Amino acid sequence: MSNSKVRPKDQGAGEVSTETCRELRMAALQAQTRRHFLRTLGGGLGTIFVGTSLAQYATPGKDSTHSESSALDFTRDPSSPLSELPPQFAAKVRRVIYLHMAGAPSQLELFEHKPDLRRLDGQDCPASFLAGKRFAFISGVPKLLGSQYPFHQVGQSGHWISDRLPHLEQHLDDICFIKSMRTDQFNHAPAQLLVHTGNARLGYASFGSWVLYGLGTENQNLPGFIVLLSGGKSPDGGKQLWSSGFLPSVYQGVQCRSHGEPVLYLDNPPETSRSLRRDMLGAIDQINRQTYAAFGNPETITRIAQYEMAFRMQMDATDAMDIHKEPDSVRAMYGSKPGESSFANNCLVARRLAERGVRFIQLYHWGWDSHGADAKEALNLGFADRCREVDQPTAALLADLKERGMLEDTLIVWGGEFGRTPMRENRNGQEMKYVGRDHNPGAFTIWLAGGGVKAGITHGQTDEMGYEIVKDPVEIRDLHATMLYLLGFDHHKLNYSFQGLEQKLTSVKPARVVAEILA
Amino acid sequence: MTAPGSRILREFRLVLLMLLPILIVMVLLVFLPPDGKERAEWIQFIGRFHPLAVHLPIALVLLVPIVELAGRSSRLSYLRLSTSFLLGLATLTATAAAILGWCLGCSGGYSGPLVTQHMWGGILLTFTCWLCWMLRAGLGQPETLFRIPLAIAVVLVAWTGYRGGQLSLGADHLTEHMPAGLRHVLGVTPNGTVLSKADPNTFYGARVQPIFAARCVGCHGPDKHKANLRLDTYQGVMRGGKDGPAVQAGNTQGSDLFRRVTLPANHDDFMPKGGKKALSSDEVKLIELWIAAGASETLAKDEIKNAPADSVAPVVAEVTFQEIDPAAVTKGRAGIAPAVAQLQKRFPNILDYESRGSADLRLNASILGTRFGDKDLADFAPVAEQITEADFSRTGVTDQSASTIAAMKRLRILRLTNTGISDATLVRLGAMDQLESLNLFGTNVTPAALPAISRLPKLARLYAGQTSIPQGTPVPQALAGKIVF
Repeated sequence: MSNSKVRPKDQGAGEVSTETCRELRMAALQAQTRRHFLRTLGGGLGTIFVGTSLAQYATPGKDSTHSESSALDFTRDPSSPLSELPPQFAAKVRRVIYLHMAGAPSQLELFEHKPDLRRLDGQDCPASFLAGKRFAFISGVPKLLGSQYPFHQVGQSGHWISDRLPHLEQHLDDICFIKSMRTDQFNHAPAQLLVHTGNARLGYASFGSWVLYGLGTENQNLPGFIVLLSGGKSPDGGKQLWSSGFLPSVYQGVQCRSHGEPVLYLDNPPETSRSLRRDMLGAIDQINRQTYAAFGNPETITRIAQYEMAFRMQMDATDAMDIHKEPDSVRAMYGSKPGESSFANNCLVARRLAERGVRFIQLYHWGWDSHGADAKEALNLGFADRCREVDQPTAALLADLKERGMLEDTLIVWGGEFGRTPMRENRNGQEMKYVGRDHNPGAFTIWLAGGGVKAGITHGQTDEMGYEIVKDPVEIRDLHATMLYLLGFDHHKLNYSFQGLEQKLTSVKPARVVAEILA
Repeated sequence: MTAPGSRILREFRLVLLMLLPILIVMVLLVFLPPDGKERAEWIQFIGRFHPLAVHLPIALVLLVPIVELAGRSSRLSYLRLSTSFLLGLATLTATAAAILGWCLGCSGGYSGPLVTQHMWGGILLTFTCWLCWMLRAGLGQPETLFRIPLAIAVVLVAWTGYRGGQLSLGADHLTEHMPAGLRHVLGVTPNGTVLSKADPNTFYGARVQPIFAARCVGCHGPDKHKANLRLDTYQGVMRGGKDGPAVQAGNTQGSDLFRRVTLPANHDDFMPKGGKKALSSDEVKLIELWIAAGASETLAKDEIKNAPADSVAPVVAEVTFQEIDPAAVTKGRAGIAPAVAQLQKRFPNILDYESRGSADLRLNASILGTRFGDKDLADFAPVAEQITEADFSRTGVTDQSASTIAAMKRLRILRLTNTGISDATLVRLGAMDQLESLNLFGTNVTPAALPAISRLPKLARLYAGQTSIPQGTPVPQALAGKIVF
């Protein structure tokens, strides 16, 4: 709701002009959408409807596509919008660390052992694989491509893994693989939006924002949702991936830098002491509160909270992000070198943030889009570098959290936005100089570790080529429902009224908690 | 002979003549019934024509009522002239089919109630056909009397044919793909009933026998046992059949069963016969592993390593959500609500209910760090028994709070990371019979505290990294596998 027509000069604090009243009334009327009309109308028609044998559709069941009106109350004291709220049910995890490999890592070179595909390496792809499919770059008849790396089985769980992740191998018994993840988006930005906001279109709230909205954060001196990037570029989905969408923007993710100032311009300008800053903020606070009392715009709350948060962060964020404070042995375990921008540094920072009560930590590592268009995208060159960059830090993060007893109430998720094809990419129908694979939304692999997750198992199965799912497909919304369940929520009930609909992370299609992976 | 009697004999010579073969067949069946044993080759050869020959009497018997009904209309009234001829042909072909059926029954592998029912159904059908023919041809008055045996004949055709189909193609051939609704209405038992129960905890009972039941028992079971081999029981499997034992314990290559299921599909000896799909590679692997491990009936399920994963996973219950009843929640919290509210005001953001529907409390003082000390913890004594999760990591809590902590008898999770507590506190935790997770990372606990800790009945995870407990310390038996360094 825009208050651009307000003329501060004409009013005293607390007075509202008749023109503003009219604007507000108009705005309120405009907010009454068709859905509101149908809902109130449905009181009469609805009772008739329920009386018919179609009553089962009228009553939302546990897997209904539409959520009931929010029976849960998420309002808080406006001065602390991120304060903690208890979860709906007893939670298995208190925080999430999401490691997103932007670009879509090739599951066939990491976790999916397909000896039949290796046998058919170099042969023309059968027509049945290509019929009716859209590819990002493949055209004509591509050749099948076996895994570029050897596989072996590891540990008690017997998980198959390639030789690219030697450090992570030690921890496979703590990991639960979902090999039958599925998405309907075959390009990066919409697919990443789907993974992180539940919708392939812009404007929706990200997972971390929902979690902050539902649970708040433990440490009020740090942002509850922190994002760290590495790999050289931002993910294709951009800042929308951690935006708050239609939720109040106080719940958005804060992208921090892992070296130097965590957030630019966090420090006071020169000649400004902390107490002077405090006085200044106190004055701004007062004015903002008066504005909020007058107009009730939740964005004012955000503004107040962000100023306060920035002030508190000056102390705590710099300390949290400072990995110099870690002993050498720990830094060596992660392979982190302070001063660089690297996934290893980010993992160590993530562990420190988790210790300090940050609710949702997201790490993006860019560069997994192994099309094979150049050396950086080649499966035997750039891909190997990416593996090297994430292998040791990921394993160290798991080991570190486990040692400190934090793995039992943390959820770690590792994965991309879709999978890669068993066919070798042939851009423009030509054989390319480097080896790569195209996008495959039909099947990909994500793994989870931590509290509430059954360790050492694999859920779901793909065919011999690793192309399509043959058993237990898991949609992204199913994964979201499961993660929300572990955090203590029924995904239908964590909702926010917007545009006449009770919006929820799992959106409008039916989603199912994947009970098979729960401990 | 009296005049009417000789007239009967003269006019119905043919009819009466037909009675003779029928009687012969009945004699054969009474004195030489199919008993599962094999007889001469030539009998077996002509017996193979029974499924072919049987189509004739089926068609003819079913044609007769059609012709009779159609013949009622004046346009088609000529049809009724042929009924008698059709009935005669039906009787003749039914007799021939019955004889061939008896020959087939001599080829071995057939015995049991299914065969007996089919056989007697066929005989009764032949006799009923003959009776219809006789009555229709005018031997009985009125002519319409023949309709009764005709109706019986039609029913017998259906029933005998059904039994015959079961013999050839399996007892559940008709019902295998029956829609569930129809199945329910007709009261047909669902598929997958194992013919004889083997112990599901053994490898044989859990993994091998289901394969036999699904893919082999149709032809090698109680009703039909080709080559005299029965695969529905363990004894049958080990006994083997006409061609010798099917399985040799410990010797995969020497086991004929294994040989036959791994042959190419077009090989003469390939099993399962009859155009059926070959066993899957997982199924073959299971049989191979079982034979190699000694083909035992009693070997436990988990004893055989590297078996392909069980594709029939146990059904996992779907996650359901219960509605929270606000009134019940308020009532449950009534006792402690004032104390909780007061503590929340004094110490914001560290104490709250475990969930919206619960009256249990969660205390997380780690955020306050060293600002939270023993004096502050003492203020929580009134609600100590409601606290199920307590985190004092990096706070100023010391052994002075031992009694307050020990009073939290219902704790499930206790975190004392990087605090000043020592063994003195830990030995007092004996009353925490719900404690599942104890985190002592970075504290000064020593192995002396381990015996007391090991007595906690529900403890599943003990974190002892960076403590004074060295990594290789011998731990009490109760803590084996639960301690994380």
